[in-house]
Amino acid sequence: MYFQRLLIANRGEIALRIQRSCRELGIETVAVYSDADRNALHVRNADRAVHLGPGPALESYLVIEKVIEAARSTGADAIHPGYGFLSENADFADACEAAGITFVGPPATAMRQLGGKVSARRLMEEASVPIVPGANDIDPDDLEHATAEAERVGFPLLVKASAGGGGRGIRQVDALEELAAAMELSASEARSSFGDATIFLERFVAKARHVEVQIMADAHGTVRAYGERECSVQRRHQKLVEEAPSPAVTPELRARLCAAAIAAAKSCGYRNAGTVEFLLDDATGEFFFLEVNARLQVEHPVTELVYGVDLVAQQLAVAAGEALPAADDDALPEPRGWAIECRINGEDPYQGFVPSLGLVQRVEAPLGPGVRFDSMLFDGLDVPVFYDSMLGKLIVWAEDRPQAIERMRRALDDLLVAGVQTNAPFHRALMQHPDFRAGAIHTKWLESSFEMPAMPEEDPRERVALIAAAIASELLAAQRAAGGPAGGGGPTASRWLRAARERASGLPVGAAARGWRRAGRGRPR
Amino acid sequence: MPSRHRLQLGAETRTLVVDEQGERLLITVDEEEPVAVDATTSGVPGHLSLLIDGESHAAYVALEGEALHVTVGGRTFVIAPARAGRGRGPVASYEDVEGQLTAPLAGVVVDVRVAVGDAIEVGQAVCVVEAMKMQNEVHSPHDGTVTAVHCERGQRVERGELLVEYESAD
Repeated sequence: MYFQRLLIANRGEIALRIQRSCRELGIETVAVYSDADRNALHVRNADRAVHLGPGPALESYLVIEKVIEAARSTGADAIHPGYGFLSENADFADACEAAGITFVGPPATAMRQLGGKVSARRLMEEASVPIVPGANDIDPDDLEHATAEAERVGFPLLVKASAGGGGRGIRQVDALEELAAAMELSASEARSSFGDATIFLERFVAKARHVEVQIMADAHGTVRAYGERECSVQRRHQKLVEEAPSPAVTPELRARLCAAAIAAAKSCGYRNAGTVEFLLDDATGEFFFLEVNARLQVEHPVTELVYGVDLVAQQLAVAAGEALPAADDDALPEPRGWAIECRINGEDPYQGFVPSLGLVQRVEAPLGPGVRFDSMLFDGLDVPVFYDSMLGKLIVWAEDRPQAIERMRRALDDLLVAGVQTNAPFHRALMQHPDFRAGAIHTKWLESSFEMPAMPEEDPRERVALIAAAIASELLAAQRAAGGPAGGGGPTASRWLRAARERASGLPVGAAARGWRRAGRGRPR
Repeated sequence: MPSRHRLQLGAETRTLVVDEQGERLLITVDEEEPVAVDATTSGVPGHLSLLIDGESHAAYVALEGEALHVTVGGRTFVIAPARAGRGRGPVASYEDVEGQLTAPLAGVVVDVRVAVGDAIEVGQAVCVVEAMKMQNEVHSPHDGTVTAVHCERGQRVERGELLVEYESAD
C-alpha cells in the first residue's frame, strides 16, 4: 500500500488510532516513546518501537532530530505526526523532506502561513475571509505597545499564543491591569509547550459558538469539505464535547462555511487534512475565521462517523500522491445521522477538575451499537504526569441528536475506570442538562451556566459499595490467613471463599500491581 | 459464625454483618433486614459480581493501604476499617497544615517565587506546579514569613510533598 512502514511521532490514543488504519492498509508501524511511556499501549501495539528520551516532551516527543533518527534507523518511509507535539511544526516537515521521508500533513509553506495564528490572520484578511478584530504584532517584553494595542482592541480580550492549540497559552484579560501577567503566563506556557513564545491579542467575542470545518486536500487541486463540527462545550478554552453536525447549522449555512473553508485551503496550496475554525454568532448567522489547525484533530471521529470516512486512511492516500475520490464539485457531501464525542480526562469533577493521576487498575470499555472508544487505557497503566490529561475519547453515533445523547448516556454508564478518577460524571450530568439537550450552548456556556451537581446524598450505590467492601474484607482476611494474595484455600476458608479463590480471586494490592520491568531505568515515582 | 465489619465511609461508621449459610451469604447493613447476597469474583481480582436479593450489581474493589476503593456505577467510595483510627483518615479532605505549603498534585515545579525570609500575603502565589500541561499556582493561605524552601525549579514532586514552610503572622 501507499507506504511500507510509517513512524507515528505521537503517543496515547491518537498513536493507536493511526496504527489501526495502518494495520488495515498493510502498513507496518513504528512507535516512539519516552521513559514514562515504555509501558504504554501505543508501544505494545506497534510493530517496532524506538526510545526517544526522558519523560518531558521537550526532551523526547518534541526533539526533531531524535524523531527523524528513529525513522531513519527503522527504515520508515513516512511520518504521521498525530496532533499536538510536532504536528504543526514546519521545521519538522522540512526535516522530514530533507531526510527523504514523507510527512503526512500539509506542506511546510502552507503550515508556516496557516499554522501560525498571526500569519493565518493576515492571509485570511487578504482572502477576504472575515476575521476577529485583534492585534497581531505583540512583543511580550514591550508592555507599552501591548497596552496601546489592547486599548484599541478593547476589553475583555484574549491573549493567545500564535503557536497555541488545545487551549494552551490562552488567557482572558478583563481589564488593563491584568494584561502584563496574562502576557507573561501565555508566553511562558507557549514557550514550554511549543517552543515559540509569539503571542497576539484578539477581541473576546461573547456568546459565540465554536464551529469548525473538516477539509481534505490532495496534490491534484481537489479540496473536499466534510461539513462542520460543533465544539462549543469548553472549559478554559479546552474542548470537552464535540458533535457533528452542529445543531445551529442549516444546510444553507453549512454551504457557506464549507465554501469559506475551501477558499482558505486553496489560498495557500493546502494539502492533506486540516480544520478551519470559525466563531459563529447563531443569532445572525455571521461567522469569523479563528484559525486553521493544520493537522488531524482530536475530534475527527465525529466527522468520520457522520460522513462514513476514514480520515487517517485518506491522509495516507493523499500523502502518497493519490487523488481524492472524484465527486461532483457542486455537491457537498451531506452528514448522515448524529455523532457526539466526550473527552474522557483524568480529572476529578467533584474537586474542581484537579488532575487525577496514578495507576489504572481496571478498565471496562463501553460496547454495543454505535459506540466507539479511542483510548490509551488498559489495566495496569500508570498515567504519566508529563502529558495532557486526556485518557480517551468516547464517541457515539445514532440516527438523530436525541438518540445520540441517550446512547452517550448509556455508554458513559457502561464505562468503568478504577484507580484514576475521570470526568465521566461530568459528562453524565451534561447529557442530562436541558440546555445541552436543546443544543442551546455557546463557548462560555459551560463556565457561566453549568454547575457540577454535588454527589447525591442518598445514593443507592453506597449500599452496594458497603456490601462489596464487607465481602472484600472477608476475602482479605482469608488471604492473610492463607499467607498472601496467592495463598490456597486453607482448611478454615469457607466454601464460597474457597470457590472464589480457586478462580484466582483476591484483590489487587497497591504497589504490587504496578508491575515488573527488566532493565528499567526506574519508574518515575 | 457471623463476622462483623465496622467500616468507615465518609464521616460515618457503618456496621455490616456477614453470615455464611451454606452456599449463600446473608448480609446485614446497619439496622436493616438481612439480605441474601450471591458474590463472585470470577477470575479477575477485585471484580465482584453481586446478586443482592436477586438484583445484579457490579463492583470493583482495590486495596490502597488500609482503605478499600470500591467503584460502583462510575462512583468510587473510599471505605476503611473503622479501627484504622484517626490521623490518616481515608477520606480526610486534603488540607495543608498551617505553616506548610504542599504540592496540590503530582507534577513538576516550574517556578519558585519566594526565598527564605520573604514576607508573603494571603493568596500570594508562592510556587507553580505544572502537571498535564496545566500550570497550578500554590497560594499562601496566610500572611507570614517564609522560613524554608524545600523545592527547586524543575523538581518532580508528588501530591502532598512539602514545598515551602512559613511562619504565620495571623
